[in-house]
Amino acid sequence: MWRNRLRRCALSAAGLLGACLLALPAQARYYDDVIDSGYIRIGLYRDFPPYSWLENGEPRGIDVEIGKRIAAGLGVLFEPHWITPDENLEDDLRNNVWKGHYLDKDDTRPLAPKQLADIMMRVPYDREYAYMRDSTGEIVNEQVVMFGAYQRERWQVAYNGERLDSVATLAVFQYHPIGVEIDSLPDFYLTSAFQGRMREHTRHYSNVREAFAAMRKGEVDAVMGMRAEIDWLVESAADGRIRLGDNGFPMMGKQEWDLGMAVKQTYRQLGYAVEAVVDDLIRSGQMEKLYANYGLRYELPGLYQEVAEGY
Amino acid sequence: MNRIGRIPGFAATALVVAMAASGGSQAAVTDEDIINDQATTTDVVSNGMGLRGQRYSPLTKVNAETVQELRPVWAFSFGGEKQRGQESQPMVKDGVMYVTASYSRVFAIDVATGDELWEYNARLPDGIMPCCDVINRGVALYDDLVLFGTLDAKLVALNKDTGKVVWKKTVEDYKAGYSITAAPIVVNGKVITGVSGGEFGVVGKVEAYDAKTGDILWSRPTVEGHMGYVWKDGEKAEAGISGGQPGQTWPGDMWKSGGAATWLGGTYDPDTNLLFFGTGNPAPWNSHMRPGDNLFSSSRLAINPDNGEIVWHFQTTPHDGWDFDGVNELISFDYQDGGNTVKAAATADRNGFFYVLNRENGDFIRGFPFVDKITWAKGLDDKGRPILIEEGRPGNPADVAEGSKGESVFSAPSFLGGKNWMPMAYSQDTGLFYVPSNEWAMDIWNESVSYKKGAAYLGAGFTIKPLNEEYIGVLRAIDPKTGEEVWRYQNYAPLWGGVLTTAGGLVFMGNPEGYLMAFDAKSGEMKYKFNTGSGIVGSPITWEQDGEQYVSVVSGWGGAVPLWGGEVAKRVKHLNQGGTVWTFKLPQSAEVASR
Repeated sequence: MWRNRLRRCALSAAGLLGACLLALPAQARYYDDVIDSGYIRIGLYRDFPPYSWLENGEPRGIDVEIGKRIAAGLGVLFEPHWITPDENLEDDLRNNVWKGHYLDKDDTRPLAPKQLADIMMRVPYDREYAYMRDSTGEIVNEQVVMFGAYQRERWQVAYNGERLDSVATLAVFQYHPIGVEIDSLPDFYLTSAFQGRMREHTRHYSNVREAFAAMRKGEVDAVMGMRAEIDWLVESAADGRIRLGDNGFPMMGKQEWDLGMAVKQTYRQLGYAVEAVVDDLIRSGQMEKLYANYGLRYELPGLYQEVAEGY
Repeated sequence: MNRIGRIPGFAATALVVAMAASGGSQAAVTDEDIINDQATTTDVVSNGMGLRGQRYSPLTKVNAETVQELRPVWAFSFGGEKQRGQESQPMVKDGVMYVTASYSRVFAIDVATGDELWEYNARLPDGIMPCCDVINRGVALYDDLVLFGTLDAKLVALNKDTGKVVWKKTVEDYKAGYSITAAPIVVNGKVITGVSGGEFGVVGKVEAYDAKTGDILWSRPTVEGHMGYVWKDGEKAEAGISGGQPGQTWPGDMWKSGGAATWLGGTYDPDTNLLFFGTGNPAPWNSHMRPGDNLFSSSRLAINPDNGEIVWHFQTTPHDGWDFDGVNELISFDYQDGGNTVKAAATADRNGFFYVLNRENGDFIRGFPFVDKITWAKGLDDKGRPILIEEGRPGNPADVAEGSKGESVFSAPSFLGGKNWMPMAYSQDTGLFYVPSNEWAMDIWNESVSYKKGAAYLGAGFTIKPLNEEYIGVLRAIDPKTGEEVWRYQNYAPLWGGVLTTAGGLVFMGNPEGYLMAFDAKSGEMKYKFNTGSGIVGSPITWEQDGEQYVSVVSGWGGAVPLWGGEVAKRVKHLNQGGTVWTFKLPQSAEVASR
């Protein structure tokens, strides 16, 4: 089943109906309620280093660090809301920011509010996406506001220097096996671009960490993933054989994109307060240091790059 | 995150336990009961009202003359603030009905009164992301056990009198994207199940367990290249690679995550001793990433129930690019051809074609479109392989430039199929199949702006369109020997529930508008309808108890249809949810009065 397609329509169907929204009071909150309660729930992807994960019961990762600073900036406690990713971002926004998951129910308290994040991290900041319309003209993500870009992300290849001298172009992967996360853009790209010439050498893993581990064991000669994931794995492995590719990704639709946050559209005031905190982290240079502490390169989101260039 | 579910068996109060204990005369369900289910009209102990899945009852008391006198005798609410789609087929044994509900729940109901005897709520783990809504399609019965599959991909056996767990086995890891929604099937003491899964790189399989103990007996993957296993005295042994070896019909390592989920369960034919399981579409969804036939996706598999061996396969959609799962039920039936009995089996596929196969060897006998419009294939060749129209294939994601949509392809049937999961019925009297179908198409394109887990992604955009203003759903009476459509009933909303036919010359089915309807099996004339208050997406049953004929159907709108938007949503958005078993009977007095 093409689940991703079904779910996307769940959004638009709900948009038409409006009924789903009325069923239960959702627990994302107004700015005043967040401040009064003394905590803020920050939505973080589960088990997703270097962005967010649990290590010995302690939340770790870049998004955790930013979330803690948001909480401190608002003068409240940081509380993680762990997100199990669904098939696409629309699903994650629905399940975690504006509506709640249909499995989040309590038999003993049927009217209890659903567990939602006040703010969700690592949500792409992309005008085209934010205003995307479905086939009936409804804005697909009209229930949320996407704001506060804090990082630009790209694709990156890492390779085993004992197997490959360099990766200047992707042509080498007509001959050398490369590992990717299944059902990701690198997967689509390597199996369908260039008349499929790299298809036979594309190996699939359930995440980039497993692909990287397979490279260190010699199963594949390279991996392709998000730059921060690759940087983190290279830094953690401290394996002298592993190098970073210099190649581009010709014919690839989306080479770079910005990450920000999302808030339910009724709670914009909370979004403004959070945006101010994050903006200060970026302008003061603290953000770059947070990334450096994890061994990651930091690239300013597009808006800030334009400002820096004096536009 | 979720806190649903309560302690298993908690609902069994002391009173209920006492009642159940006093009913000690109830007999256990035997292999013989299951094999003879179609002929024994006092119970329903298999999904499909007989293992062949014909959904045909020899009962005649309710017929074209008497059906007007059918009376509701009770309505049982699942309650629990959990009203999602109710796609279950109830079972009945010794005056007790066993029926599943959304969110992996099971209820035992006293048929005489409509009273609840017990209730079981599966305790589902946190963070579960089940594929394809939270429906369940029913239980299997064996010995004193009620068996069913859960959204977290477990097989559970409950005591039929108390609802307490007797055994529970993990069929697959829900964290890897697996779940179970289909009713298991019991053949010769083995409970056999498939698995459901999303696009997370799952691999379909069929597994058999000892119904009494839950011990695994064999496991058969449904994607070429994966090793099958058998267990003897608890020892696991290799039983051959499905399809012989990997890489014959798949590029690279894609067979490792090839999809082909067996999400709708199967049927069984005692004559040939074969199980028939269908398989879902191949993964990933975009066909340009995986040139080749991609076996055994979108296929029907004949499997030896003793060891899990694949005896034959028939692929309805090689190299699927439209999400045409091949899971739809394959129904065994015999017909006469020039004085010879043909051991056939038939299926109405998502792809819009109706197939008649030789069930002994899988050979194609004939096939024909059963929907009005098919855009992806010109027809079938003499082996039953589709003759493709290449412009009808959705586009290559590599051709999508940044910021633009890929070229849109108009395709019929839509990805929800000419017929989806809802089971058809075969009448031994008229020789016709009664096929619940839908007339709809889709526009489909690659979407350049899409994200997944913080990463740029390439999604597919689509919209489903009705092909006609007046109707989407069409219940068709189809002659499997000629392909002729003998009659049709058109329904405004899409049909999503199962069909039942009887020797009383009737065809029963429900619609999303909420009506349980009965049609004359020969003419298609509607003889009866009753509004159950919510949409029907379940499958009706009939049986006889204390000399009276009963009919039951579960009402509760949901399933896949209300999950999408576009033009179809407008036709169903006003439908209310629910969760009720409706039970009807023809009172003896009415039966006499009508004579």
